[in-house]
Amino acid sequence: MAILEIKHVSKFFGGLAANSDVSFEMVSGMIMGLIGPNGAGKTTLFNCITGYYPPSRGEIIFDGHRMNGLHPDAVCKLGMARTWQKVRPLAKMSVVDNVMVGALCRTNSLKKAREMAMEKIHVVGLGNRVKFLAGSLPIGERKKLEVARVLATQPKLLLLDEVMGGLNPAESEEIIQLILDIKNIGITQMVIEHDMKAIMRISDRIVVLNSGEKLAEGNPQEIVSNKAVVDAYLGGE
Amino acid sequence: MRPFMHNMRGTSTLPVLLAVVAVAALFLLPNFVESTYALHIMILIFISIIMGSGWNILGGYTGQYSVGHAAYFGVGGYTTIILMQYRHIAPWYGVWAGILVAVAIALIIGTICFRLRGPYFVLASIAVAEIFRVTALNLKKLTNGAEGILITDIPPFKIGDVVITDFMSKVPFYYIGLVTLIIAIFATWMLQNSKLGYYFQAIREDQDAAHSLGINLTIYKNVALACSVVFTSLAGSLYGLYVGFIDPSTVLALDLSVQIVMTCIIGGIGTIFGPVIGAVVLVPFSEALRSNMIAQAIIDSGLVSENSGFGFFLKEQLSHAHVLIYGILLVVVILYMPDGILGFVRKLTSKRRKEAI
Repeated sequence: MAILEIKHVSKFFGGLAANSDVSFEMVSGMIMGLIGPNGAGKTTLFNCITGYYPPSRGEIIFDGHRMNGLHPDAVCKLGMARTWQKVRPLAKMSVVDNVMVGALCRTNSLKKAREMAMEKIHVVGLGNRVKFLAGSLPIGERKKLEVARVLATQPKLLLLDEVMGGLNPAESEEIIQLILDIKNIGITQMVIEHDMKAIMRISDRIVVLNSGEKLAEGNPQEIVSNKAVVDAYLGGE
Repeated sequence: MRPFMHNMRGTSTLPVLLAVVAVAALFLLPNFVESTYALHIMILIFISIIMGSGWNILGGYTGQYSVGHAAYFGVGGYTTIILMQYRHIAPWYGVWAGILVAVAIALIIGTICFRLRGPYFVLASIAVAEIFRVTALNLKKLTNGAEGILITDIPPFKIGDVVITDFMSKVPFYYIGLVTLIIAIFATWMLQNSKLGYYFQAIREDQDAAHSLGINLTIYKNVALACSVVFTSLAGSLYGLYVGFIDPSTVLALDLSVQIVMTCIIGGIGTIFGPVIGAVVLVPFSEALRSNMIAQAIIDSGLVSENSGFGFFLKEQLSHAHVLIYGILLVVVILYMPDGILGFVRKLTSKRRKEAI
């Protein structure tokens, strides 16, 4: 069953089409990779899906709800959560408080929120950082904190915007494991990533964007052997 | 929990203990202090703490730096006093009316201004307060314009037939101020340990992140503003009743808005006791400046001769320069104690603790 349907979505900034006529579907439980060269419109598409921009044209259907015009907070309440390419820790709050803010989306009790938060903190492996200020964490742990925080909102669909960006290979490997663990819990994920090896490993399907348009869609094997994709990345003729 | 250690929410037990002792002492104080001047200063400090705590909810916890809180201070004060003076409604009802009016106005303004972020919000808040000042100046039928309203007398406070107080001395104002400030501090503490407090701080730290975590920015910013305005309005009513006079250039002035913000910045923004420390430092300081006490002290100490040009300047001009000195003080605090006095002390103690380990 499709959990997310993107139907002919376009987004214009003035005369510039950041996304034009993008359509694809996501099945519950899958990991969808979203790749494309810089400026292909990946993050814009994320922003349209999560309510930061209304799409100029087209429709986004999530779990039976039409998402057009919904604000990010309503999107989150419906069960869709995103992380940010540039991490956004609540710097002067502790790690547990950061994650509790996410958990408070589902409960009014601080006690319950703290329990939920602690559980997610252990899932991402920040158990020894609970009382540290978020602003004091190194980049790798900040990325994990972002994931813990969105997990605490109990999403059905998770959108991860370059969670491996700026990480060393060991840290990337931890995040890959984390993404696969999250898949095992049953949460559907859409992942923007530049690390091709990683994205080929984790994705069930991949959508390739180029200059705002959908260039290709398929499973990882189909994508690596697709001539249009190779041209887009290597520059073609 | 071990004593003197920071607990989960960053408040420690030692200050709480100190606060309890301080409150007990404050309740007994009027029995021992004869000087009305001392009581006067205390009442001003109390009012300053109440309005500082109010601002702190919006500015300190939610990160929305309003430099127009005089608007709500003035609206609260004017509502209470107009109702008392022209409609003969006793102030202990009028105060609530003042809060209602101030909150209603705040929500309208908030809905419009909270679309703006950062410096643009600050500018809008200043503009709003100025609109209120000019309106009060010109609505002569209601506010008596620039002449202000002089309170003729406050009806005695009775329960049944028993007169509790007739408001003839400063003592009743002292106790009302003290109780209100305790409520303000307690409310801040409750807030800090609630879902609202978490949401407010998330908005302060990163609006976009907060938004994506399911926080409706417009609603929660308005809630913060409403909580904030309750205490600002209360402080305004109390001030008007205590001074017995209200006019636009004192209760609706930019000066006052800045003073409210200063109280919090100097004490420590986003902390429960920040406004308390800010008020305790700032009120006596500005009073000493205004009454020329500091200039006199410098001359008496022999550092500067009274007959020299500088001495003359100090004596004649220093009291007029209090705004300038506020400015210098603010710069010094921001440069050397960016988290206010409370943040500075905390840093020192935590450094010492680390060295001890």
